[in-house]
Amino acid sequence: MSSQAPAAPVPVAPTTERAVPRVGVRRHRKLLGRVGINLLGVLTFVVMVFPVYWMVNTAFKPGIDIQSYTPKFLPNPATLVNFEDAIHRAYFWDVVKNSLIVVGVVTALSLVLAFLAALALAKFRFYGRSAFLVLVLCVQMVPLTALIIPLYIMLSRAHQIDKLSGVIITYLTFVLPFCVWTLRGFLLAVPKELEEAAMVDGSTRLGAFVRILLPLVAPGLVATSIFAFIQCWNEYIVAYVLLSSPEKQTLPVWLAGFTTLHGTDWGSLMAAATLTALPVVAFFVLVHRRIAFGLTAGAVRG
Amino acid sequence: MLRGTAPYALLLPATAVVAAVAGYPLYLLVKLSFQQYGLQELIAHKGVWIGTANYAEIFHDRQFWEVVARTVVFTAACVSMTMLLGTLIALLLARLNAFMRFLLTTGLVLVWAMPVVVAVNIWYWMVDYEFGVLNWLLTELHLGDFEHHDWFVSPWSGFAIIGAVIVWGAIPFVTITLYAGLTQVPRELVEAAAMDGAGVLRTFRDITFPILKPLFVILTSLSIIWDFQVFNQVWIMRDQRPTSDYFVMSIYSFVESFKVSQYGLGAAIAIVMVLTMFAVTFVYIRQMVRMGDLR
Amino acid sequence: MRRRLLAAAVLVVLLALAAITAASAPAKSQADSITVWLMVDAQNNWADAVQAATRQFQQQHPGVDVNVQYQTWGEHQTKFDAALAGGNAPDVKELGNTETVKYMANGALADLTAQKRSFPNSATWLQGLTESVTFNGKLYGVPYYAGARAVIYRTDLYRQAGVSTRAPQSLDQFVTNGQKLMKKFGTDRNFSALYFPGKNWYASMSFVYDYGGRIARFRNNRWEGALNSPQAIAGLTKLKSVVLSLSRASKTGDEANPQQALVFSKGKVGSFIGNGWEWPYSLDPKLGNPELAGKIGAYPMPSHIKGRYMPTFLGGSDLVVPATSKNRALAADWIKAYTDTASMTSIAKAGNIPNTTSLVAINAAKPTLAPFARAAKYSWFVPAAKNWANVESANVLQNMLVSIFTGRSSIKSAADRASSQITQILNESR
Repeated sequence: MSSQAPAAPVPVAPTTERAVPRVGVRRHRKLLGRVGINLLGVLTFVVMVFPVYWMVNTAFKPGIDIQSYTPKFLPNPATLVNFEDAIHRAYFWDVVKNSLIVVGVVTALSLVLAFLAALALAKFRFYGRSAFLVLVLCVQMVPLTALIIPLYIMLSRAHQIDKLSGVIITYLTFVLPFCVWTLRGFLLAVPKELEEAAMVDGSTRLGAFVRILLPLVAPGLVATSIFAFIQCWNEYIVAYVLLSSPEKQTLPVWLAGFTTLHGTDWGSLMAAATLTALPVVAFFVLVHRRIAFGLTAGAVRG
Repeated sequence: MLRGTAPYALLLPATAVVAAVAGYPLYLLVKLSFQQYGLQELIAHKGVWIGTANYAEIFHDRQFWEVVARTVVFTAACVSMTMLLGTLIALLLARLNAFMRFLLTTGLVLVWAMPVVVAVNIWYWMVDYEFGVLNWLLTELHLGDFEHHDWFVSPWSGFAIIGAVIVWGAIPFVTITLYAGLTQVPRELVEAAAMDGAGVLRTFRDITFPILKPLFVILTSLSIIWDFQVFNQVWIMRDQRPTSDYFVMSIYSFVESFKVSQYGLGAAIAIVMVLTMFAVTFVYIRQMVRMGDLR
Repeated sequence: MRRRLLAAAVLVVLLALAAITAASAPAKSQADSITVWLMVDAQNNWADAVQAATRQFQQQHPGVDVNVQYQTWGEHQTKFDAALAGGNAPDVKELGNTETVKYMANGALADLTAQKRSFPNSATWLQGLTESVTFNGKLYGVPYYAGARAVIYRTDLYRQAGVSTRAPQSLDQFVTNGQKLMKKFGTDRNFSALYFPGKNWYASMSFVYDYGGRIARFRNNRWEGALNSPQAIAGLTKLKSVVLSLSRASKTGDEANPQQALVFSKGKVGSFIGNGWEWPYSLDPKLGNPELAGKIGAYPMPSHIKGRYMPTFLGGSDLVVPATSKNRALAADWIKAYTDTASMTSIAKAGNIPNTTSLVAINAAKPTLAPFARAAKYSWFVPAAKNWANVESANVLQNMLVSIFTGRSSIKSAADRASSQITQILNESR
C-alpha cells in the first residue's frame, strides 16, 4: 500500500490513457450511485424492521383479522381493544415495575463491580491474571438452563426463592463476565500518556485512575449498561423458575401467560409486547450515539 | 506496574458475587455429571455416584454426535452470516446521508430492543403454514408457490428460518458496533488509498480491516459463544416440542434434564458443551488475552 | 484515596443488597397459608370457581391465606421439579393426567387413600381419571376434569355438499361424506373436509385403538411397544388414507399452533376433531367468528365397526398434594372445596367434563356438551407406565406420525422405530 502519494501535483490529470468521463457524466454517475446506496438503505430498513412493523400492526387488529388467509397490511378496522386487554390483564403494572427494578439494580451494580475488576485486570500485572481472565469468560459459556436446579437449591437455602433479590443476584452473576471484559478493553485503550500526566501531578495511582479514566470510559460504561439491560429485560427461564407469586413476576414471564392450552391470544400479546418495547426503545434512542463511540474506542486501539 | 494487594482488592467484589452465585452451582453441576440423578434422587436430595458412566453414555450415543455436529455447523453458519451482513450494513451506513443513516440506525435499535421471546413468536407466526404473511408475500411476488408451505418439514429449511431469526436479532449489535469502528478509521488513509486507485474491496481489506481487527475478534468470539447456546429460537419455533432432528446442544441438555428427568445426564451434556465452546473459541480468547499484554 | 474508593464500592454493594432484601416481603410462616399451583386455563376460563372454593375454604379455616399461582403448560414440570428439589413445592398442584404416573412412582405425592371417602363425589369419580391417580392400589390425587374429543362440523357446509347432518354410523360413511365435501369445496386449496394436523397424536391414536391395537402392553413383567402389531398398523394405514384425502392441514404442525378451532372459524374447514371447549371457542367474539353460531354441530367420531364410536382419548387433569407439603390436611380441604358439586358444575359449564358421572346430566342437557360426553363412552388412555411422561417428552408418537404423513418412512418402519423407542424408554430403570 503506497501511502506516499506523489507530492508534486500534476496540473492536469493524465487522461489520455484512461478514459475519464467528462465532469457532467461523472456527477451523474455519482448521483446514481448515491441514489442506489440510499435505495439499498431503504430496502435494508424495510427488511429488518418488517417484523417490528408486523407486531405493531397486529396490536391494532381485531382478533378475526389477525390470522387470516389474506393478510391485511394496515389494520382496518383498527381497534384499541388489545391494548386495553393487555393493560387490564392482571398484574401488568406490577410486572413492569418488577422488571424495571431488576434491570435497574443489576445494571447499576454490574457497572460498579465490573469497573473495579476491569481496573485490576487492565492496569495491574499480578499473578494469576491471565488465568482469571479466561475463567471469567468461561462462566459466560455455561448455559443458564443447565444451572437452574443447582442454583434453585442454593438460593432456596438462602431464602431467595420468590424474591426479586434472588433474581437480581443471579442475573448479576451472569452479566458480570461480559461487562468485565468490555470495560477492560476500554481501559486498555486509554493512552498511557494521560495516565502518566496525571501521575506527575503527584496524585496516587488510583486517584489518577478514577479522575482521569472514569470520564474517558464513560461511553464504555454506557455500552456495558445497555448489554446488561437487554440481558435482564429478555431473560425468561430463570425468572420463571425462581419467581412464583404472580405479583413478583417479570415481563417475559408475564408475556408467556398469554399462551394457554387454548392457544395464544396474539392480539393482546402483540399489544403487550409493543407497550413493553416502548421504554426500552426510548432509552436506546437517547443513548445509542454514546454507545457507538464507546464500544469501539477501546476495541480499535486494544 | 503496581504490585501488592491493590488488584486483588479491586477484583474482590466481582469475584465474590460470581464465585458465590455461580461457583457453588457450577461445582454442583460438575458433581451431578458424575451421578445418577433422576426424579427419585431429586426428591430424596441424594444422588448415586456412577463415575464417568454419564459421559460414556453420551459419547456412545450416536444422537449426541449428531447434535454436536449440527450445533457446530449451525453456529458457524449463523456467526458467518451475522458478521458478513453486519459488516456490509455497517459499510452501507457509512455511505448513507445523515437522514437515511438515522432512519436505518433507529430501525436497528427497534430490532435490538424487542424481547427475544416476542420477536421469535412474530417470526413463527410470519412463516405459519396456514396464515403466514411471509408465505403470502412470496406467493404474491411470484417468487414461487408458498401457499401452505411448511418451512419445517425439512430441517434444512427449518434451520434456515431459525438461523434467519437469530441473524436478524444479532445484526443490530454487530452493525452498530462496526459502524462506530468505521468512523474511527482515519479518513486520510482511506482517501490516500482512493487516490491510489484502490477499489472499495481493497481499501477494506488493506486499511479498514486491519484497524478493526480487534473489534472483529471480540464480536466473532462473542457471537460464537452466544449462538452456540441458542435455545429460545429453536424451542419456540418448534412449538416447545422440537423433534430430534432439530436438537441443538442446549435443547438436548434441557430435554435430557427436565423432560426425561435425568439431571445427571443433562449436567454431563452441559459440561461437554462448555468444553466444546472453549475449544472452539480458544484461538480468539488467546488473542484477546494477548492484546492486553502487548502494552 | 485507594482505600476510600474501595470502601465506597463495598458500601454501595452492601446498601443495594440491603435495600433489595428490605423491599422483599418477609416469608409467611407455614401454618398461615397454603400455596396452590393451577394451570392458566383455570385463570382464563373459570376463575370464579377458584375464588368460590377459596372463600369456602376460608370459612372453614379462617386466617389461612390461599396463594393461587398459575403455571404455563410449557415449563411447569421444570418448575415443579426445581421446587421439589428445593423443598419449596406447593401444597396443591394440578398435573395433566398423563404426567401423574411419573411423580407417583417416584414417591413425590402424598397418599390420600385413607381420606378417599371424604372427597365429594368420590364414589362416582370418572373411571379413567381415577386410574390416573392410582398407583399400586393407593390413591395419590383427586380427579379434576376431563376432556373428550368429538367431530365438530359445519352443518351448513354439509348441507351444501349434499351430506346428511345426522351423525355418520361408520368410519366408511364418514369418509364418503368427507369426499363429497372435498368434491364440492376442494378447489379452494385452503379447504379441508377434516382439518387434521400431523402431530395430533390424541386423534391419531384413536384409529390405532379402534382397530384393536394399543401403544404398549405390559407382558412378562416388562413393557413392550405395540405400535407395530398388525392391528395397530391397520389403524395407522386407515389413518393415513383418511388424513391424506380429507385434510390440507400442516403435516408437521400440531392442533394448537395455529389453534384448530380458530382455523375452523375462518370458514375453510368442514370439520375437525376437537374438545368440548373448542366449539364455543370458535365463536369467540375476540378471536373467532361469532357469525358461525347456529351453523355448528358435533358428533362422536364413528368407529370402523358400524354403530360404535372410535375410542376417544380421555384427557384431563388431576389435583395432587406433593409429599413435601407441610399442610396436607389444609391442602386436602381446599381440594374438597374446589371439587365439590357446585364447583364442578361451574367447571362443566366452561366446556369440560366434570370429574363425576353424577353430573353427566349437565352435559347431556346441553347440545354443545352432549356429543362429547357421549364420545367418552369409548375411551383410551396412555399406558400406566412410570416412564410414560418421558415418551411424551421425547415426542416419539409425533415423530412417527410426521414421518408417516410426509411419506418419509413407510408405516411399518415408522411403527417399528416408535415401538422400539417406547420399549426402551418405558423399561429404563433409571
